[in-house]
Amino acid sequence: MPAGDNGRSLADVISIMASTCAAPGDRETLKYRLLGSPGEIGDWGHEYVRNLAGEISSEHHERQAEGKPVDDLLGLAGQIVPYHMTHNAEPEAVDLLIEVDRLELLSQYVDAGNCRRTCLYLTSCSSYLPEPDDMAVLRTAHAIYLKMGLHHDALRVALWINEKELIDSTFAACKDPLEKKQLGYLLARQGVVMDLENGITIVSEEELPAMQDIVSNARLSEHFLELARDLDVMEPKVPEDVYKMHLVDGRAPSGRAMDSAYQNLASTFVNAFVNAGFGQDKLITAPADGDGNQVQWIFKNKDHGKTSAAASLGMIMMWDVEGGLTHLDRYLYTTDHHVKAGALLAIGMVNCGVHNEHDPAYALIFEDVNHDEPTVQIGAIMGLGLAYAGTCKEEIEELLVPLVMDPNISIELAGFAAVSLGLVFTSTCHQECIEAILQALMTRPAQQLSTPFAKMLCLGLGFLFLRKQEVVEATLEIAKTLNEVISKYCQVVLDTMAYAGTGNVLKVQELLALCGEHIETTSNSGWKVAHQGPAVLGVALLAMAEDLGGRMAHRALEHLLQYAEPSVRSAVPLAIAMLNVSNPDIYPTDILSRLSHDSDGEVAKCAIVALGIIGAGTNNARLAGILRNLSSYYYKDQKMLFLVRVAQGLVYMGKGLISVSPYHTDRQLLSGVSLAGLLCVLYACFDIKETLTGKHHYILYYLVTAMKPRYLMTLDEAGKMLPVPARVGTAVDVVAQAGRPKTITGFQTHTTPVLLAVGERAELATEKYIPLSPILEGLVILKRNPEYVESNE
Amino acid sequence: MGQNNSVPNQGSSQGGGESKKNQDKKKKWEPPNPPPRVGRKQRKRDRVTGLGPKLPVVTPNAKCKLRLLKLERIKDFLLMEEEFVANQERLKPQDNKGDEDHSKVDDLRGSPVSVGTLEEIIDENHGIVSSSVGPEYYVAILSFVDKQQLEPGCSVLMHNKALSVVGILQDETDPMVSVMKVDKAPLESYADVGGLESQIQEIKEAVELPLTHPELYEDIGIKPPKGVILYGAPGTGKTLLGKAVANSTSATFLRVVGSELIQKYLGDGPKLVRELFRVADEMAPAIVFIDEIDAIGTKRYDSQSGGEREIQRTMLELLNQMDGFDAMGDVKVIMATNRIDSLDPALIRPGRIDRKIEFPLPDPKTKRRIFTIHTSKMTLGEDVDLEEFVMAKDELSGADIKAVCTEAGLLALRERRMRVTHADFQKAKDKVLYKKKEGVPEGLYM
Repeated sequence: MPAGDNGRSLADVISIMASTCAAPGDRETLKYRLLGSPGEIGDWGHEYVRNLAGEISSEHHERQAEGKPVDDLLGLAGQIVPYHMTHNAEPEAVDLLIEVDRLELLSQYVDAGNCRRTCLYLTSCSSYLPEPDDMAVLRTAHAIYLKMGLHHDALRVALWINEKELIDSTFAACKDPLEKKQLGYLLARQGVVMDLENGITIVSEEELPAMQDIVSNARLSEHFLELARDLDVMEPKVPEDVYKMHLVDGRAPSGRAMDSAYQNLASTFVNAFVNAGFGQDKLITAPADGDGNQVQWIFKNKDHGKTSAAASLGMIMMWDVEGGLTHLDRYLYTTDHHVKAGALLAIGMVNCGVHNEHDPAYALIFEDVNHDEPTVQIGAIMGLGLAYAGTCKEEIEELLVPLVMDPNISIELAGFAAVSLGLVFTSTCHQECIEAILQALMTRPAQQLSTPFAKMLCLGLGFLFLRKQEVVEATLEIAKTLNEVISKYCQVVLDTMAYAGTGNVLKVQELLALCGEHIETTSNSGWKVAHQGPAVLGVALLAMAEDLGGRMAHRALEHLLQYAEPSVRSAVPLAIAMLNVSNPDIYPTDILSRLSHDSDGEVAKCAIVALGIIGAGTNNARLAGILRNLSSYYYKDQKMLFLVRVAQGLVYMGKGLISVSPYHTDRQLLSGVSLAGLLCVLYACFDIKETLTGKHHYILYYLVTAMKPRYLMTLDEAGKMLPVPARVGTAVDVVAQAGRPKTITGFQTHTTPVLLAVGERAELATEKYIPLSPILEGLVILKRNPEYVESNE
Repeated sequence: MGQNNSVPNQGSSQGGGESKKNQDKKKKWEPPNPPPRVGRKQRKRDRVTGLGPKLPVVTPNAKCKLRLLKLERIKDFLLMEEEFVANQERLKPQDNKGDEDHSKVDDLRGSPVSVGTLEEIIDENHGIVSSSVGPEYYVAILSFVDKQQLEPGCSVLMHNKALSVVGILQDETDPMVSVMKVDKAPLESYADVGGLESQIQEIKEAVELPLTHPELYEDIGIKPPKGVILYGAPGTGKTLLGKAVANSTSATFLRVVGSELIQKYLGDGPKLVRELFRVADEMAPAIVFIDEIDAIGTKRYDSQSGGEREIQRTMLELLNQMDGFDAMGDVKVIMATNRIDSLDPALIRPGRIDRKIEFPLPDPKTKRRIFTIHTSKMTLGEDVDLEEFVMAKDELSGADIKAVCTEAGLLALRERRMRVTHADFQKAKDKVLYKKKEGVPEGLYM
């Protein structure tokens, strides 16, 4: 190759020709580009640049492996990236930078126009990248959003990364008071507690009361009732409205199964779920004239049934702290232990996800944690756990840790205490709690460890590590040294919790191997297969992170049904439920409907609960029909019928205004507390005989942490409801699509507030206002558009 | 799977000998057999759910790392499935046992077997069969026959002596109709439709929503519409919207052109229509899209020609299928035409076609949307001002706009330019309008 200008020009020409006719893999385009003139790279057209980028990344990999310098390649990349970024090819720029490990360069080329597209691509990639890379990508996206001043997006990514300091600093970076309020709504939805009076997240004096209100969810009940009034569903429903017996073709439940205590209990639950959050119903808070009746309903139940009945009041008054406590007051001083336990539990539910400035829950409950009667103690412990779920309140630790550690109290109490600790300190790796639970697991005798309540100890421990990934390793090692009765179970729980929602394929592989084992058991070595249930659920927990993994996990579960042992099969419906929370697609509904007729009673029971979970709060008619048929199919079996009724209640939860999906904000964020509550119920199904259909049916109330209204409500700058037209339709994946594609398809125009189902998205149908959050979900503040001109075109 | 019919019997035999106390009796109660899943609809549904879901669709379509990562994720899962199944087969070999069972079943089946038709299912284990010759028999259905696939009218294999049912023959579908099924969804989606918002909403309410969200209609208490007709000037997007419906729905989509229903032999056309609706019902939920319905749906009149009369009979069959004695169930009909005035009034009366959706020529707002859609993927020059074309008074339909954009792109391509300029658009528009107005140049007769 001759030196000088001619040589360089020749090299340029060879380079462009090589991009069309060179043999694949010999990278001649790159070779001659490096020899050629360093001029503007885009002159040769887009295809050439793409080709070059591909060769750079493969050359880079090769040179890195050999340890050779890569400076010239980076120089070229530095030319290509700006070209891509200014020519609507952000994905290609990002790809190239990921390949050459220079993602930090990206932010300097981003401008207001391509920022969203770039970051959307980055965040979508992160779900599929291996472990250290995914965080790097998210941090890049976070940095870009912060640089562009898109605080809402930045906070979302920070919450995704799930790092306290990052969340705080992102929140603090936002200066606009109105925008800050919007961030507050996001934090409240995710259940993050933020100290607004000290530290970097401090807000100014005059903003403080309003911000406190928002972050502590204080007006959740108010908003929910506004939504209900707008949709005209305030009228309370009775369980018979849900059962719709007149539509049942077959035999209606009758005789013993009909008027047993189970049926009253079922009505209690159905009534609680259906009227959840509405503050009024026809059984518990009956109208004023029948003053005698309302007490009677609670006393129509026996023993532990009374606990659930009293507690259902908490669910009906959910989120309304002041109103709820006045209703509950009278039950707190009763001598009936079961009612008192229920009332304590109800206090927890009323305060769940809502933080009142006077903090009444703790004051009301803490004395009863050390009550003489275990029933009351359980109520108090659950109440505390629910009321302070996700708040990391230190007083709870002081109160409950002794209960967990004390080897002289029943394992039952220790189990509930551990779960409450797990809820309060979800994914914090709180050291004292971990030690306490581990100690309990080490000191308890093997006989106690094989009860369902020892499993609750493991569950509580697992919650502490929720989504903490490799931090769990040390504890996992300790778990290996535990008594063999619980060791394996504990390991699987810890592992699946720590990697929940990460989509880690290697972990899924391990879990599938566990599920595939065929272990011989005898009547008293049932513990040998106990770990397989959590393993199946773990497959779903790991894979639910993104749509793709979720769908593939369904296929894996299908194989489990075909090959695996009964202990695994009974967990499959629960895993299906986990993958489709509040999302009754045809496919999962059909499988579960098939399994709900299974000859194995355990499988059938789990499938019925699962049907309830996938339909929770959807009012889905198809699912309701299936459950109605089941109620006539199991017309004689009262336990089955109880579960069917509960599932029916779940389907009509909150009259269709509530969802229990742990994912929110466009399925980007996973709320740890919601997930934990959901898992409590699903784990209880592994021992459904002792728990849900036994004496501990109030475990169902753990769902309250996951229950959130599924609405889009638009607010004006003063926080008042502001009805505007909005389009609601199925969400479309617009990542890396050319141009400005539509984000929703098949939409219908409504006026806010509107309901959003899983997989739906909303956009404003008017230009008059600008939303402060790019994702229209939950509460959104609208700002007037200064450029808006009224037109009558 | 999960349909183990022998279990309840075990339960009752145990329960019979137990004490008569209520408590015990209650415990021994076993649920009855699951509701029998026989009949067409159930069979179709089981087929869908039995094989697990299809592989998910991977977006974006552009070649980028994200797509690669997603495809790799799918591959990982498939590899795990393979490993799992291989391990299970190794741990729990079922082959030998399977072979034994096979030979046993073969013994029971006997040879030679004969073919008959299942007339009726009496209960779980008995049915009435008929063979091509001779009378009908009440016979046993052997337990190894898959009850889920049995349905009255299907062909079955029978034992040569006892005539008991020993197997099922899958019946074949009419090849003419299976051609109409849209296997590969068209690429056009709602996103490619500019404007037409009210039309999209109407067609969704009438056709898609009843299939996906029947609960909405149940709550209000109305019967969802059975069909819609799309009409309007040529090029306003009727067929495009049909394609978009096909693209977005997961229901079976059958598309027919009116002229396809006109057959050579007497009675063939009506038969095809019948067959079409039978298949649609079998594959329900389904959407039938009949394009250019005026080919068979013109007003009836006294005609002497046999051909005309045959076409009219085809239409009568269509009338009957749409609102006749048999309930249509989960089948929706979409028709498209640009000559609604010539259609037979009976065809488009409410009850058959509940909604008539007009497709007008686009107004300026819609034109702007259409322009944006077609130009969103084009590299436009700085000087392009689409407003000029939007506000122009020419009668541009959606198809014309697309033609203008394509033409402009072609012109730019001819000159090897990377960008499309304003001049290209102007030239393209003149060219398109020139052709449309049949050679009379614009502005000649002012």
